[in-house]
Amino acid sequence: MLPDATAIDKALAAIGSAEVATTTLGLEVRVEADELVAALEALKSGEHDFPMLVDLFGIDTGEAVDIVYHVRSLSRDEDVYVKCALSYEGELTSVWNLYPAALLPERETAELFGLTLAGHPNPKRLLTTDGIEPLLLKSVPIRTVEEVRDR
Amino acid sequence: MALDRITGEHSVAFVRSEQLFDWARRNSLWYLAFGIACCAIEGLMSASGPRFDFDRMGVFFRASPRQADVMIVAGTVNHKMAETVLRLYEQMPEPKWVVAMGACASTGGPFRSYPNVVLGVDKIVPVDVYIPGCPPRPESVQYGFIQLQEKIKRQAEERNAARRDRDR
Amino acid sequence: MSELHDTSYEPGLLAEGTFDPGERPAGIKRIPRGVEHLATEHLVVNVGPQHPSTHGVLRLVLELDGETIVNAEIVIGYLHRGIEKLGEHRRYHQLGTLMDRGDYMSGIHGELAAAMAVEQLMETEVPAKAQWLRTLMSEINRIASHMVWFGTFGLDCGAMGQFLYAMRDREALIDVLEAVTGQRMMFNYVRPGGVLADLTPEMESAIRTFLRTIDGYLDEHDALLGGNEILQMRVKGIGTLDRETAVAFGLTGANLRGSGVGYDVRRDRPYAAYPELEFDVPVGSTGDAWDRYTVRMGEMRQAVRMIRQCIDGIPEGDIMAKVPKVLRPPAGESYACVESSRGELGVHLVSDGSDMPYRFRYRPPSLYSLQALEEILPGRMFADAIMLIGSIDIVLGEIDR
Repeated sequence: MLPDATAIDKALAAIGSAEVATTTLGLEVRVEADELVAALEALKSGEHDFPMLVDLFGIDTGEAVDIVYHVRSLSRDEDVYVKCALSYEGELTSVWNLYPAALLPERETAELFGLTLAGHPNPKRLLTTDGIEPLLLKSVPIRTVEEVRDR
Repeated sequence: MALDRITGEHSVAFVRSEQLFDWARRNSLWYLAFGIACCAIEGLMSASGPRFDFDRMGVFFRASPRQADVMIVAGTVNHKMAETVLRLYEQMPEPKWVVAMGACASTGGPFRSYPNVVLGVDKIVPVDVYIPGCPPRPESVQYGFIQLQEKIKRQAEERNAARRDRDR
Repeated sequence: MSELHDTSYEPGLLAEGTFDPGERPAGIKRIPRGVEHLATEHLVVNVGPQHPSTHGVLRLVLELDGETIVNAEIVIGYLHRGIEKLGEHRRYHQLGTLMDRGDYMSGIHGELAAAMAVEQLMETEVPAKAQWLRTLMSEINRIASHMVWFGTFGLDCGAMGQFLYAMRDREALIDVLEAVTGQRMMFNYVRPGGVLADLTPEMESAIRTFLRTIDGYLDEHDALLGGNEILQMRVKGIGTLDRETAVAFGLTGANLRGSGVGYDVRRDRPYAAYPELEFDVPVGSTGDAWDRYTVRMGEMRQAVRMIRQCIDGIPEGDIMAKVPKVLRPPAGESYACVESSRGELGVHLVSDGSDMPYRFRYRPPSLYSLQALEEILPGRMFADAIMLIGSIDIVLGEIDR
């Protein structure tokens, strides 16, 4: 469940910006966006094999979009949450060649948070049609009661 | 066979062809197998299952819109789906009817405040019967179909009455 | 195309030097040398969103060479209705209603995941009886959901009869769920802190009545569909997902276990009353459609075994912990996962201390299973595509959310 924080810290020694912390969620690693791929590579390969991407999603924190990569080691049953902050309308670098499971969630996240997708083999819109705003951003409101009532 | 009981065995009945067709239409409402969301499980799958068995009422599913009389809109319609719903409706031959099944198809339901959701399928296609519920029970859908049959019957009677007035 | 209709035969086009047709015999007008230039064209076929076998509004764009699939693309979003966004505008105990409509086939599992995520944030202790009732309802719901899969999988393979048998058994299960929760599909039974209602003696006897017949029914189902040689020929060795592929695509549930990875949330991260139950985790070997079929059939049998243990072992006590009417969990994040009928269903909650979640993330197992479809379809026949959609058992409600 909860991996050894020092071991993860050691595995990510080459990543300068990596900060390992234990929170209510579990073990979180925060990295800068430009070192994200390297951090995931270090976690996936080597003795700390985390071969499975459980989930990938974004959180609009008010200042930036946090992208959460939830990776899991099946042999030891441990989870690590790698987080990296992207600016609004920033660029989400695809990690599909590390984790093919990211293919659809990346498209979904980029679309619903208004990010551009780099390095993705099929960077089309996934869920909505053209012209629809990035709906999961906090700045995009839902319909008001009046709008719904006077439909 | 019901006719036999009224007119006696081996009898001959004279009706207008139009009336005969209306009677046939009413009792063989083939719906389009087109499930969008949760309602499809109740309105299309349980309906064709052994307990509810809509086939008794002549209500049966067709896979192609070109062979269907009724479209059950069973689920939330969003802006991406709206185009397809309209296209399927246009592909169905006349006469055709639309049943809005459940809260989502009627008004947007629990998802009405999400900007991507269409507030009711009646914004896209004309709806004949609304069935409330989230999701409606198969019995409600059955009642909805009975209401649709009544509506078809009423429409036919009104048309015939209008013709009688004109001919007079 | 013009080459196909070219009727002027040039001698040079014949296999050079090896065959000389020479003079035509008298009465023969043409040289029987077969059709030259047999070229095939790739055809793009659109399947869905209205298609009786795409299990909802999935759309597949397939590139075909004859009847063989060359390339496939998944198009989704026809049911995107903002479950995650609306979750940010709902109170914590209202999340269950949204989860029900996500994976609408197994509502109890969704509610359970949301309730567990909230409990994790609040550090609520759930009474033992509520835990057992959650387990019992989860397993009943699992069989009901697998029955739908079983029925439609047969339909996808071209069989009709077992659909009617599966729906018959599903109705019996839905009756039990309805008696306990009050609804046929959208239960809203599992609440943060416990469950809504207790079992009455009548419901218990209804479950026992069902348990008397289900074993025989399951054997009958298995013989009817899985015992059919035609079905076995259609599914064995097709759509193989090996261990690496399955893990790489993030598959969970029966799809992952069919590929030989014995990972089950119920056993490996026990929740509710699962640590106290005895059950096996069926695991496949090769990861083809047949393995996924046998794993799901095995899961139904294990679910029956667990229901038996639950109904005999429910302890006495409260069904609801003391929780405030308006839940305000402390700021923080939590992730709770359950084994739904389709795999690991997770809920990731971010709380800012208010009465509504700051971010509500639904981890849909079907979305990850669906990605593997693009990988296994190329090279297969078109008819296999329909069968393979059935074999990975997806629900579009949770894919699009």
